[in-house]
Amino acid sequence: MSNTITLKINNKTIATEESSAKRLLDFLREDLDITGPKEGCGEGECGACAVIIDKELINSCLVTIGSVQGKEIITVEGLKGTKQFGVLERCFAEAGAVQCGFCTPGMIMAAHALLSKIPRPTEDDVRNGISGNLCRCTGYNMIINAILMASKRGDGLW
Amino acid sequence: MDSIRKSVIKADHKIKVDGSAKYIADIKFKNSLYAKTLRSEKSKAVIKRIFIPELKDGYYVVEGKDVPGLNKVKIIQNDMPVFSDKEVNYIGEPILLVLGPDLEEVISILNDIKVEYEEGTPVFDMRDSTESFDKYEYEKGNIKDAIKKSIKVIEEEFYTGYQEQAYLETQGLVGDYEDDKVSVYGTMQCPYYVKGAVVQALGFEEDKVRIVQTTTGGGFGGKEDYPSLLGAQVAVAAYKAKKPVRLILDRAEDMAFTTKRHPALLKYKTLLNENNKIIGMDVDIILNGGAYATVSSVVLQRALLCAIGVYNIPNIRVKGRVVKTNTVPTGAFRGFGGPQSIFGIETHMAHIAKELGFTPLELKNKYFVKTGDDTCTGGKFTYDVKLEEMLEKAEEISDFSRKYKKYSSEQGIMRKGIGMSIFLHGCGFTGSGERDFIKAKVKLLKYESGVIEILASNTDMGQGLQTTFKKIVAKALDKNYQDIIYENPDTDRVPDSGPTVASRSIMVVGKLLERAALRLKENWVDGKEQIIEENYKHPDLIPWNITKFNGDAYPSYSWGINVVEVEINTVTAVTEVTGIYTVFDIGIPIDETIMEGQIQGGVIQGLGYGSCENMEYDKVGKVRQHSITDYIIPTAKDVVNIKNELVDNPCDLGPFGAKGAGELTLVGTAPAYANAIENALGVKVNRLPVTPEWIMEAIVNE
Amino acid sequence: MVNGYLPKDLDEALKILNEKDVTIYAGGTDLMVRNKNAASLLPKFNKDLLYIGDLKELKGIKESDDSLEIGAACTLSALLRAKGIPEVLKESIRQIASPAIRNMGTIGGNICNASPAGDTLPILYALDAKLKLVGESSSREVHIEDFILGPRKIILERTEILKSIIIPKAEFNKVYYEKVGARKASAISKLSFIGLAEVKDGKVKDIRIAIGSVAPKVVRVIEAENFIKEKNLEDIKSEMEEIRNIYSKEIIPIDDQRSTAVYRKTVALRLIQYFLNIRI
Repeated sequence: MSNTITLKINNKTIATEESSAKRLLDFLREDLDITGPKEGCGEGECGACAVIIDKELINSCLVTIGSVQGKEIITVEGLKGTKQFGVLERCFAEAGAVQCGFCTPGMIMAAHALLSKIPRPTEDDVRNGISGNLCRCTGYNMIINAILMASKRGDGLW
Repeated sequence: MDSIRKSVIKADHKIKVDGSAKYIADIKFKNSLYAKTLRSEKSKAVIKRIFIPELKDGYYVVEGKDVPGLNKVKIIQNDMPVFSDKEVNYIGEPILLVLGPDLEEVISILNDIKVEYEEGTPVFDMRDSTESFDKYEYEKGNIKDAIKKSIKVIEEEFYTGYQEQAYLETQGLVGDYEDDKVSVYGTMQCPYYVKGAVVQALGFEEDKVRIVQTTTGGGFGGKEDYPSLLGAQVAVAAYKAKKPVRLILDRAEDMAFTTKRHPALLKYKTLLNENNKIIGMDVDIILNGGAYATVSSVVLQRALLCAIGVYNIPNIRVKGRVVKTNTVPTGAFRGFGGPQSIFGIETHMAHIAKELGFTPLELKNKYFVKTGDDTCTGGKFTYDVKLEEMLEKAEEISDFSRKYKKYSSEQGIMRKGIGMSIFLHGCGFTGSGERDFIKAKVKLLKYESGVIEILASNTDMGQGLQTTFKKIVAKALDKNYQDIIYENPDTDRVPDSGPTVASRSIMVVGKLLERAALRLKENWVDGKEQIIEENYKHPDLIPWNITKFNGDAYPSYSWGINVVEVEINTVTAVTEVTGIYTVFDIGIPIDETIMEGQIQGGVIQGLGYGSCENMEYDKVGKVRQHSITDYIIPTAKDVVNIKNELVDNPCDLGPFGAKGAGELTLVGTAPAYANAIENALGVKVNRLPVTPEWIMEAIVNE
Repeated sequence: MVNGYLPKDLDEALKILNEKDVTIYAGGTDLMVRNKNAASLLPKFNKDLLYIGDLKELKGIKESDDSLEIGAACTLSALLRAKGIPEVLKESIRQIASPAIRNMGTIGGNICNASPAGDTLPILYALDAKLKLVGESSSREVHIEDFILGPRKIILERTEILKSIIIPKAEFNKVYYEKVGARKASAISKLSFIGLAEVKDGKVKDIRIAIGSVAPKVVRVIEAENFIKEKNLEDIKSEMEEIRNIYSKEIIPIDDQRSTAVYRKTVALRLIQYFLNIRI
């Protein structure tokens, strides 16, 4: 059993000798200085730590690095620069979906994960898609508007 | 040129979306020490001894005796210790900090520290408390006469519970000590409050303390006074260790032990004459202040000032006290006493209506305050009161009255209901605080290049000040808001423009910025560096007297009408919100989208306050719902789109006519929700939150 | 330092399980919360971790004439996407937690966690689910009601892994599921109700009722079901008092931070009544 753990994060391959049990969230924030994913609760409830692993939305505070070896992990930093991110960013801006911003990286990941599965979601689909991302500032509706807007503007991207 | 209200892209949008915005937990400080708090396990006790194990090199314990200045947190009454190592008054009270480079070791030390308590008898129920932090009373007209003349008396009591701010970013500060100077960085609403607390705790000169706000992930009042405690703690710790000290609360800690909304007991007694006209109202309010005073006296003031809501009642007596209990100190939360009282008056009026055979709106309409009327405390509603126009709009968008009638008579397992609340919120700091304590000052710094920087201490915590302040200055100077600089305030660089509280930032500080910008425009010199300073000028009001509780408590008011529609499953008592309609008068919006955000966010927080955010104490003084799993805030699936209309009502006290808006939007949802449940089931709600447990009992007992 | 094993197949996993003292880690959603530590510190595991979440023998769904076999490490999201999963099971899964939790959490984990509030449990009890437990050189099937002894107490041996869940196929023309939570997502059930019935010619041919979160284990009362079986709908209505009494003895909820015993019991009985009066 090798003690080296190999991870694929934002299209980079990273090897580490850290414990298999280390939380992915801590590895991202402490070891790699990737601070988009946030610690909002540490118990998988708020979604502020959400990342995408093998195209699925995952709460990084609830996975060990050992359990995600060899999987494709994307954080908001990895999504930045893509056409999809560009559309999401513009729509979040126009729809007024960002206030304090703490939930925003998680919301962006949730939006991207949702649109990747359902490129033309209904409002209910969007509410479901972000149902695990808590927001205290916006009351959610403007975020939902942003994602619906992005699905129309980003036609063909997802 | 575009009107100022036209929406723009927020100035801090990019960094928040791409994850590059740095909140305090994202920032690495070199050689920093982790700090963890040892907290009281008793609700009331004297600390006899604290056994501290031997500490490795580089590890510290920071206690009361390490506080060089005054071991008291500077908030109004100065009763709360920075480190409570003599006596404790609530479970969770901070006793000391353990510092060190390795977090695991710090926690291990913490677990090895033993505290010897001599327990006292705690008081948990506010009804049992014999100690008040503050009390006030005021009258209007002749209440005793009204009591004599009254033919009917309608009396009832309401209870409103705790509410936790549940900002997504927990509280946290980093203190640093270098070259005889202490700096504190972190998430906060009021850098100068923190500075005052740090100066008092350290006994330093003002220029030896620097406070810097970092990008703040939500506040809602929860970061108004609490950071003063944390700030004093990390400052003392950094001073002792001579290294950066990082004190970031985890969610369970934050949820259980930081300040919350005051629970309230509201007794309403209404006096009616032989024609069933309301001739008097007698109100008695108790607020649960928890173990220490914090900002309770001002919360109480506002609660009393809102006690009669939007109604003009000829004879009133309103009294209240905020009492001490051995529970977590309660503090500021958006609304600040308003939500409690507005629930009380709105629900009471609905119950009076029911008793007299009217719909709530039919009764309430008869007593609406009008422009020019006296306020409850002998002030005046100087500026236009547009309630009738707002009511018309509310009916238009929600079809309220027709639905109210229809739903009252429906039967069936699924019951629809619709409810309305009408409310106000005084803009700005209560009373004469602005003139006597805050004395706000702003500066505009124009660089030689022509670039302008706003120097003010108000903080963006999501409500968009980094954008709206820039818009105000830009508009006054005919410039582009993107060419104006406004950074997170650093007390070394910015004057004290007052705290970011009380819905004052736009109206009061924004006005100063507008005036400063206009003066700069008038005195503009190309190629020269210029600084324009603008100081607060108190408007011409009926002077506020706190002892008599008399005068203009607020310079102006913002108004709201909320309609909430529900559907109740009578098998389970689970209630779904099916519609929310709002009408607000906030003067004019500085930015339409940002204002929409305040409405959507505030209304949903109010909905949580009214429906699912239940927080209670157990028999030994511990909070039962102390995790984000158990303290229930709405998710995206629990809310519906809000249909909103603004009624313009520009007020010259604010920039471009804007009034206060930050808190108003939270105040009305809960009473509207309660009213909807009453409409659906024909029951009388007397408490918040209106949980399914309460509704089920009401259904069964019917 | 806690290390992790990534076995290439089930055989290797069982071998490791036999030889070493490890903690089984499938989706991790309950495990990571239970072992939560302060931010930036390692979770409080004191044994090495055995990662079984990606083992293909534990994924997959096999359908036969008389039953459905679901791999224990199927994630809840995978079950929502899969064909052949009973719609009522999907309905309960849809209301579990949130998308991110469902993407990791497994049905096996929900069962082995044996929480009184486990959302898949009432339906699995009602459907008479059996569990296949395998060891390095053993294999056995147990009924789910024999598998769970109480909160967090299961009869799984240290050297065994839950391999699959076997659900006998059954026809019901009346299906009613209700999860009562504090909000519509991310809510631990205050209580949950499943009612399944086969009603023909006004008579109840088969009936299953199971209620979660109202006792240490799922409440399913065979005595009551037998009482209801073969009765016609009108008789059931008139015997409601008796039926309620039978269930009432077994419904023993508690007060906790989420809800009250009174509410849970009241609503549980109302749901039974609602199902029998209106939904069948």
